[in-house]
Amino acid sequence: MWHRGSFSDAATRVSLLCWLLTLLCVSVFLLGTQASAQTPPAPQSHAQLQLVAEETFFRPGRTLWAGVLFHLDSGWHIYWQNPGDSGEPPKIRWDLQSGFQAGAIRWPVPMRLGKGSVVDYGYEDEVLLMAPIRIVSPKVGSPVPIDAEVSYIVCREICIPGKARLSISLRRSKGRSRAPDFSEWRELFERTRAQFPKPMPSAWQVSVASKGNEFILSVRGAGAASAAAFFPLDPGVIENSAPQNLASSGNGFQLTLRKSEQPLKPVVSLRGLLVLGASGAFEISAPVAKQ
Amino acid sequence: MKRALATMAALAFIAALMVSSARAARVGEHAPDFTATDSNGKTHTLSEYAGKYVVLEWTNRDCPFTRKHYESGNMQRLQREWTAKGVIWLTVASSAPGAQGYVTATDENAYLKQENAAPTAVLLDPTGALGHLYDAKTTPDMFVIDPHGILIYEGAIDDRPTTDASDISGAKNYVSLALTESMAGKPVSEPATRSYGCGVKYKD
Repeated sequence: MWHRGSFSDAATRVSLLCWLLTLLCVSVFLLGTQASAQTPPAPQSHAQLQLVAEETFFRPGRTLWAGVLFHLDSGWHIYWQNPGDSGEPPKIRWDLQSGFQAGAIRWPVPMRLGKGSVVDYGYEDEVLLMAPIRIVSPKVGSPVPIDAEVSYIVCREICIPGKARLSISLRRSKGRSRAPDFSEWRELFERTRAQFPKPMPSAWQVSVASKGNEFILSVRGAGAASAAAFFPLDPGVIENSAPQNLASSGNGFQLTLRKSEQPLKPVVSLRGLLVLGASGAFEISAPVAKQ
Repeated sequence: MKRALATMAALAFIAALMVSSARAARVGEHAPDFTATDSNGKTHTLSEYAGKYVVLEWTNRDCPFTRKHYESGNMQRLQREWTAKGVIWLTVASSAPGAQGYVTATDENAYLKQENAAPTAVLLDPTGALGHLYDAKTTPDMFVIDPHGILIYEGAIDDRPTTDASDISGAKNYVSLALTESMAGKPVSEPATRSYGCGVKYKD
């Protein structure tokens, strides 16, 4: 009889209690995450997707940020807006009620993927692809569903396409306070913003010279750089797999980039990100000087 | 003597390959010549097809971008349509042994039958030599060479870079566009596009 209890019975009861508490906590946690929705884990999908919002309530006239959070299995990746030599960037099609307008994805700084002759740009482990959602109409009901249809390709040695339909529901703020009500995802959004490329510092002077099969990207006024990598925004401009050689020059540096073997059209300017190690990433755009 | 000549010819060919592989094929220029063996053990060179249009199609049967075009029957339809018009269609498999898409000759012939595919031949390129010579990056990656041996198109198969077969209908097929325009004596309006697909699974 259990109520008389031996030591092991007591232990069983304690562990049962722990279990129930865990279950309760998990349930509370799941109920609490109204600002996120997860796809049921598909076997061998190698990517789990979650739709998350930075705030728990919306206010007409304001912009809130929502995004798709990718959790990727170890070694698997998805792609940047310019995927490089292969792959395709994920596509998010927002399905919003009238009065809600989604803006473009803000892409965090990617990493270079691959070592051989096929080099790509993308993300591993975890990445949030966020976009602004403007609530333009004052006449919107509550709660409001925010739906997103995501199609993506996730690759390691092989590639697997995926599709997900994600949905969250947001309520209209009743409070008069102007302060936003942040969701539990606030920190992730802030962390992602910190990875956005920055505008080019005004003290920099960037120029591009065309020399044989190379582009020489010169940055003056930036001081010396111990590491630099250029990520092109446009395909078919440089050879993604070619090494990029850094040399200091005056009050700045030069990065030598190999031209694409197969340019899609004449390259009139170089647009992309210049990633300078710990100093962060900068958006640059410079016309290619005529030879 | 014959043997020595054959060896010399082979060496000369390897040397030529090494020289020409210093730079990949480029649209508007002569496509580099090659020698490769197909899934029936037959040798093909580009030069033997002088006077004809040649299409090179890089493949990896398990890549979802390639599967889109085979499972829908789109690739087979293109192969039939253009080979019926005298085009030489060479499918190239450059996956390294052990990598996805690597095929033996027997595998490949069974697959061609199963898929009802109709290329002129499938070139087996497990060393990646032909892939690197043309700088093929993805599967599919498409090349069109005109009867003068000039590369007139390189890039994607069409303008819908997805794995979804429903995107084929209504897509602009760049290979058909290049062949149609060139055969009509017109310049190719879209001679180079970004090829989409899986990376070619090279040895390196």
